[in-house]
Amino acid sequence: MSDVLRTEKARVAAPHAAGPTHAGRRTLLLTCAALVVLLALVTCSVAIGEVPLAPDAALKGLLGLGDAADVLIVQQFRAPRMVAAVIAGAGLAVAGALLQRMFRNPLASPDVMGVTGGASFGAVAMLAAGASQALIPLAALGGGLLAAVLLGVFGWRSGVSATRLVLVGLAVQAGLTAAVNFMVVRFPTELAGSALQWTTGSVYGRTWTEVWAAGAAVVVALAAAFLLHRKLAVLDLGDDSAGALGVNTDAARLQVLVTAVALASLAAALTGPVAFVALAVPHMVRFLAGPPTAGTLALTGLAGAVLLLASDLVAQYLLPVSGLPVGVVTATLGAPWLLVLMIRQSSSVNRSVR
Amino acid sequence: MTANKPKATEEQANQLATHGLDLRYGDRLIVGGLDLELPGGAVTAVVGPNACGKSTLLRGLTRLLAPAAGTVTLDGSDIHRMSAKSLALRMGLLPQQPVTPDAITVEALVRLGRYPHQKLLSPWSEKDQAAVEEALERTGTAALRHQPVDQLSGGQRQRAWIALALAQDTDLLLLDEPTTFLDLRHQLDVLDLVAELHSEAGRTVVMVLHDLGQAARYADHLVVLKDGQLAAAGAPADVLDAELVKSVFDVDCRVIPDPETGTPLVVPKGRAVRRTAVSV
Repeated sequence: MSDVLRTEKARVAAPHAAGPTHAGRRTLLLTCAALVVLLALVTCSVAIGEVPLAPDAALKGLLGLGDAADVLIVQQFRAPRMVAAVIAGAGLAVAGALLQRMFRNPLASPDVMGVTGGASFGAVAMLAAGASQALIPLAALGGGLLAAVLLGVFGWRSGVSATRLVLVGLAVQAGLTAAVNFMVVRFPTELAGSALQWTTGSVYGRTWTEVWAAGAAVVVALAAAFLLHRKLAVLDLGDDSAGALGVNTDAARLQVLVTAVALASLAAALTGPVAFVALAVPHMVRFLAGPPTAGTLALTGLAGAVLLLASDLVAQYLLPVSGLPVGVVTATLGAPWLLVLMIRQSSSVNRSVR
Repeated sequence: MTANKPKATEEQANQLATHGLDLRYGDRLIVGGLDLELPGGAVTAVVGPNACGKSTLLRGLTRLLAPAAGTVTLDGSDIHRMSAKSLALRMGLLPQQPVTPDAITVEALVRLGRYPHQKLLSPWSEKDQAAVEEALERTGTAALRHQPVDQLSGGQRQRAWIALALAQDTDLLLLDEPTTFLDLRHQLDVLDLVAELHSEAGRTVVMVLHDLGQAARYADHLVVLKDGQLAAAGAPADVLDAELVKSVFDVDCRVIPDPETGTPLVVPKGRAVRRTAVSV
């Protein structure tokens, strides 16, 4: 090593105390805070309602303890809706985080790229055909994958250009949303009860049959997302470096894409195409916790659950209009957020490519 | 990974070779019918004019680009028949324009070099940490470990990226124009580091360079490409002469012994335009 290197080394040795442990501690702190908030929201969602319950009675009811009537109210009517919001929120947020990171594009998210639209289309088509509720997750998954395939056919030319994919995704999403609206109008009887869910996104009236299958599948997909995390970090280095580190970049991208599509589709099977959770939550977490790590991915899932559950509580109890679907609240929160994002994007250099 | 440990063993001579190698981008033939032997345990510099296929060759040597015809072998076995991960345990690459993830710290970047050594669920090991520490130490970036890479100077950033390749702990190191965009001092820093990696850690180095004088100084073996074909290969003192520079770069020059090292030094002849400008 030359003398020049040594002097330079000495010169920079002193300052810059902020280390990885610092960022890690902040992520841990935020994760604990998110857990506390989530617990509080869960308590609210099982306690509040037409028959108000004391928080401890409601939580006991959730676990099947205490007064039989309370248990019935909580477990049959309130818990499925709450669990649906928590699982779908986590799934959407993690799906958004995966896609944004992989495509290096802050606009890449399942609701922008057509995946949630595809999932809703699958669900609506299944319902219109008169199939059973239990098949909805499968149909949603199929619809989400269909959207991904459309995206691939039109967007995937000699490798992946992120901008192209997002633009094609917007078109796919618009087309599929139109298809969903068409189905809702064309099959009014079959879709009478669930039209709002599939056009706007709602957790109203979820039942355990719907929640269990999709919920379990989301949990599996979440586990896969965490297993893929190391690969994702290497993909961040660009194709040449990732390839030289032994990552088969095309296969790795496909794995991440399928995981994200599965997460978003299954979440949409529970809630419909709830907007902006997948788009906004990863940015918020990035803003609060810093560069992405496995820890921030977990935080992203928690924050998504918090946001969707909180939005649902707002839609249910805090707004003067009753029966508002949660998708309206998230979209209302999300629209200004998107504007802020665009303004920040255009004013600062967000990514360094050298 | 310790200093002075001889890396090359008899079974692993770390010899890269190409046999009738064709590399294409779409319909465009970039490298055609190349037969090349890159000696193990040596520093090889690949030189040639712009767009002669230097970087493409490096991509072909690392499996990033599949050959249209011919093979690339490492110690006799076809690298395209090896798994990506097992090749990544033998060979590291510093691309010409690496992508630095947002706000990543030097240490986090260097840790990614351990990827091929890690299994799906295995935790970060002491061996991983030791490799990272040595890579940081060797490249003089240990004091920068907590700083975001995108806020470093060009020279520091380049050393952080070399540290990543070092943490990968491979016998072979391929560097694509490691000195581009650096000022003279930082160019020499990087080249000295490369020389040190070769002499102390016994690594085989293949690097693409632009400066013929630097290539002659720092390389044991010179590969000269022109239009995707091999123009010359061998020890710099044997191959680098005025005739070669004229035929490959279309530049009239004198080749004299470098007053510092005795290696060949290319001194371009004054051109008419410049002479006029000076005399006026």
